[in-house]
Amino acid sequence: MTTAPRDEFFRTIRQALGHPEGHTPAPSATALGRTRGDVDAGARHVREVMQRDAGPLLAQLAETANQNGWKVLRAPSLDTAADYVRDVVRRLEARSAVRTAHDILNRMKLDLRLADTGVALQVMAQGFGLDRAALRQKAIEADLGITGADYAIAETGSCVLIPRQGVSRLASLVPPVHVAVVERGQVLPSLDDLFTLRRDDFLSGNLGSYMNIISGPSRSADIEYTLITGVHGPGEVHMVLMG
Amino acid sequence: MEPKTKQFNQGAALAIRDEKAQKSLLGLYHGFHAARLRAADATPNWEELRDHARAIKAHTVEHLDYYLAQVEANVAKAGGKVFFAADAAEANKYVVDLAKARGVKVVIKSKSMVSEEMGLNHQFEAAGIEPVETDLGEYVIQLAEETPYHIVAPAIHKSRQDVSELFHRKLGSAPTDKITDLGREARRQLRQKFIQADMGITGANFVVAETGTVVIVTNEGNGRMCTSMPRIHVAITGMEKLVPSMKDLGTFLRLLIRSATGQRITSYVTAVTGPRRSNDEDGPEEFHLVIVDNGRSRLLANPELRESLYCIRCGACLNACPVYRKVGGHAYGWVYPGPIGAIVSPVLTGLGDAKDLPYASSLCGACREACPVRINIPRMLLVLRRELTEGTAYPGQRRVALAERMAMRGYRMAFQGRMFLGLATATGRVVQRPLVRKGRIRRMPPPLSGWTRYRTFPALPKHSFRSRWKRGL
Ligand code: SF4
Repeated sequence: MTTAPRDEFFRTIRQALGHPEGHTPAPSATALGRTRGDVDAGARHVREVMQRDAGPLLAQLAETANQNGWKVLRAPSLDTAADYVRDVVRRLEARSAVRTAHDILNRMKLDLRLADTGVALQVMAQGFGLDRAALRQKAIEADLGITGADYAIAETGSCVLIPRQGVSRLASLVPPVHVAVVERGQVLPSLDDLFTLRRDDFLSGNLGSYMNIISGPSRSADIEYTLITGVHGPGEVHMVLMG
Repeated sequence: MEPKTKQFNQGAALAIRDEKAQKSLLGLYHGFHAARLRAADATPNWEELRDHARAIKAHTVEHLDYYLAQVEANVAKAGGKVFFAADAAEANKYVVDLAKARGVKVVIKSKSMVSEEMGLNHQFEAAGIEPVETDLGEYVIQLAEETPYHIVAPAIHKSRQDVSELFHRKLGSAPTDKITDLGREARRQLRQKFIQADMGITGANFVVAETGTVVIVTNEGNGRMCTSMPRIHVAITGMEKLVPSMKDLGTFLRLLIRSATGQRITSYVTAVTGPRRSNDEDGPEEFHLVIVDNGRSRLLANPELRESLYCIRCGACLNACPVYRKVGGHAYGWVYPGPIGAIVSPVLTGLGDAKDLPYASSLCGACREACPVRINIPRMLLVLRRELTEGTAYPGQRRVALAERMAMRGYRMAFQGRMFLGLATATGRVVQRPLVRKGRIRRMPPPLSGWTRYRTFPALPKHSFRSRWKRGL
């Protein structure tokens, strides 16, 4: 009788650990950690803190993001945010840009506000007449990518994007410049809080396929420890903080 | 990859004489090592994080069979496929067969130490498929046809002139002394490959059992490219990279990144759970996770070496190690250099050929102190030394140390009996005479010549301490 390679693999491990053949002891319930109810409560607490401390968290994020190499703007209104993006587009003399379908960008009326800059702005979402291959080509050609954020993290100066319908993986990655717009109430205190919420998402079946924690420009110090930016991802990144 | 662990002494001697290598190795100390210390200081509960991480790793490794089965089930639920490879050959076959079956011509790779272990690039080339390393350091290494010098900074031994010359020779680009130009040239070259490639290969810094998620930490964004642009994503990982739950990631990301480069966080942390979903705008259609044993079950089976599987490959022990910082990465002869390499390489590739590695340490303990998961590396080096002396079941193992055992027996005799010691030192004083120059012995006859090949030995003084003591000093 021959065993499947997969079973052989597990047999070797069980043997190495001294576990009985054909039996995988389960870790104790305490080791496996909190119950669904605990996760719910944890997530609820994190959401409360995000709202309650929204102001101080934005201030902390402004500082840590800036330390990480983001160009940070505190925008009191949708108009100031849109003006800032316009300025970036003008300065870059950008001819084409891509963006996600995040609602904050609609509320900024970005398509309208950028109309007179001459930039061709493409929403990276199917159902606007383009298929995946054509959208990808748009991202490759774009001078600028504009996104909202799904979360931000004050501890680490990060913006978190969770790609899904309407949120492209490529918009924040392929163009040489990325502008991310973070809303008040989206800022988490720490990395742990992000994973508390994501674990809750998972248990509700909403984890999705992908997540990126973005914390500054693409960088490398692989040659002589000398920092260079824009190696594969964007070399110039802007974070617009609303409110 | 073919191990060259036998040639430690030659490799070390080369590096010690190489001024450029010495300069870049010194840079590791003033760069990464110093940055790690600062980052640890700036993290309020650093020591607790280390304890916590170690406990999680110990727990996961004790239940590895349970968590591996969980990963398998959850990757499948997310629409991906897990392949368990007992060794490098099985892993290579799975990945290369997959590439062939899907008509892949160009493969882009983000850093994966395990794929180096497997020698995957050679297998691709043999199948007429072009593998392209996309991490800037790895790209340089691939063009130079070398092995990584450091876990985190694979090309840190190369100067800008070296890289410029290499790019000029291999890519035809104009020579430059600006590192920004070199970066731009790499971006230009690799961007085309990202667009052409049908398969992206990445490693995994962590695999979350509960969700089937692969977590990849990069600064350049090549990891994101490899998981976003091609239609197939294959992640390759050693079987020890598991953590039970998402809630463990905060702890491990902090420890890994802050220990590796001293950054608060890298530019990108990417979490992949299966292929793109039907409504997603982009991302690969297929996701495969290859989980590799390749000798790790030997580390697992030995309770004295098991904790080497807690390693998160941060490289901190390399930067802290006074031996690594002199002999550099190539001397270790395989994929994993430095203190942790001196444990992992012998067991994965065969202790018999790697018998110099466990001795490439002064046992000063700097590695253990630096290690974010508190791995007791010196203790395991001693275990391997003991096994070398006593002989064990590792592949390629010979009972090498007959001479050493004889010497130890003599030593014991000498030090147990006062008379014997007195006789031995008296004899020594006579025998050493032709060898002594300025109070040091510079060359001893075989089998002791190994000792004096690279260092001198103090000669026995004219009068022993014991005889001087008797005379009232
Ligand atoms: S042994 Fe510890 S210090 Fe060395 S690479 Fe592994 S985790 Fe880092």
